[in-house]
Amino acid sequence: MTTDIRIPEDLYDGDEESVITAWLASDGATVKEGALIAEIMTAKVQNEMTAPASGKLTILKQQDEVVAKGTVIGQIT
Amino acid sequence: MTIVNERKLTIARAMAEAMAQEMRIDPAVFVMGEDIAQLGGVFGNTRGLVDEFGKDRVRDTPISETGFISAAVGAAMDGMRPVVELMFVDFFGVCFDAIYNLMAKNIYFSGGHVTVPMVLMTSTGGGYSDAGQHSQCLYGSFAHLPGMKVVSPSNAYDAKGLMTAAIRDNSPVIFMFHKGLQGMGWLGTEAAANVHVPEDAYEVEIGKAAIAREGSDVTIVSIAMGVHHALKAAKVLEAEGISTEVVDLRSLVPLDRDTVRASVRKTGRLIVVDEDYHSYGVSGEIIATVCEAGDITLKAPPRRIAYPDVPIAYAHGMEQFCLPNPEKVAAAAREICRTAVPA
Repeated sequence: MTTDIRIPEDLYDGDEESVITAWLASDGATVKEGALIAEIMTAKVQNEMTAPASGKLTILKQQDEVVAKGTVIGQIT
Repeated sequence: MTIVNERKLTIARAMAEAMAQEMRIDPAVFVMGEDIAQLGGVFGNTRGLVDEFGKDRVRDTPISETGFISAAVGAAMDGMRPVVELMFVDFFGVCFDAIYNLMAKNIYFSGGHVTVPMVLMTSTGGGYSDAGQHSQCLYGSFAHLPGMKVVSPSNAYDAKGLMTAAIRDNSPVIFMFHKGLQGMGWLGTEAAANVHVPEDAYEVEIGKAAIAREGSDVTIVSIAMGVHHALKAAKVLEAEGISTEVVDLRSLVPLDRDTVRASVRKTGRLIVVDEDYHSYGVSGEIIATVCEAGDITLKAPPRRIAYPDVPIAYAHGMEQFCLPNPEKVAAAAREICRTAVPA
C-alpha cells in the first residue's frame, strides 16, 4: 500500500512556496511512522514533516526543490 | 549497507541533541547566548532545549558579548559547565580578552587549581552575501593562541560526537560550526553534511582527523565546508584518472599532524583548502607540518586554496570569486598531478 507524503495545508501560514531544505532519511531507507523525515523552509521559518506511515521511503522531490502546500514530495510503500 | 531505521540529522539538530543529552545527565551544564532559548538559535542548534530544561538553564542574553562571554568564564571557574554561543565568530573582538586571556589561561595562572570547562560555540563561514563582519572563518585566529581546543565538524555525526566530547572536556573548547552546513536553507544547503546519527550519546575524539576519502595521487586537507569542496573535486578527478585522498581535520587544536603526514607521505602531493584568510593561518600550518617532517618527499610544491587576504565583499560576484570551491580545488589537483616529478 502506497502512502503519499504530502505537504499539509496547516504546515505553515499563508500560501507561499517553500523549499525542502533537508531530507532526514535516504531514498530507499526504512522509516518509522511519526519519525522526522524532512525539513521544509519558507522565508526564514523551518517546518518539520514526519512520516505518515512505516515502510520504505521513495523521494520524489529532491533537497533544494521548490514545493508548495499539497505537493507530494515522497511516498512510503 | 542500508541502515535500519535510518535517522539523518542536520548539524544543527545534532548539536542540539548532544546538548540535550548532556544536560539530562549533568545538572552543571547550561546554555547561554543570543536568541538560543525561545528561537532555538538563529542557526537551529538549540531547538527544543528551553522547552525541556526551562529558562534558568537555557538563557537568552542581551546583545552584550563582553558581558555574557565573561560571565560564562566566571561560571565555568565556579563549577558550572556552560555552553555559550558567540552568534557570529566575527563578533569575537568585543569579548576576546575573556576568551584568550581568561578562559584559555586561567588554569595555567592558577597552577592547575582552577579549570574553565566551557564550550564556546560560534558560527563561521560565508557565501551568502552577509559581508565582511558576518562571513569570516577566523580558524587561524583561534587556533594560534594557546590554551583552548578548537573543533569544527563537516557532518552531523561528527557534530554530535564533538559537541558531546567538548562538553565533557575539562578544557575550554571552541566549537566552530559552518553556517552553510547547518541545514538552514537560507544559508545554503549541503546534503552531504546530513548523515545518519545514532540516538545514543557518543564522543568523537577531539584531536583526531578522519580520512573522508581514500586515495593515492594527491592529499587534500581541509575542515568543515572545505571538506565538501574537496570531496566534490575528488569525484570529478576520479573520472579523469586522479585518485584523491581527503583528510577531514575535525580539530584544529590539538592538530592531528600524524594523520596529515601519513597521508602526504603516501601521495607525495598536498593541497590545503582553507576558507579562512590565506596568510598566517591553517593552510600555512598544514604545509609547515608536512615540510618539517623530514621524511616526506613531495612530488610537487604544496598548494593552498584559501580566501585572499582581503575583507569579505558584500557583492555576490566578488565574494564568490574569492571563496574556495570544488572547481578551484580540482584545477589545482590537475596542475600538481601533471607536474613532472623532479629526478
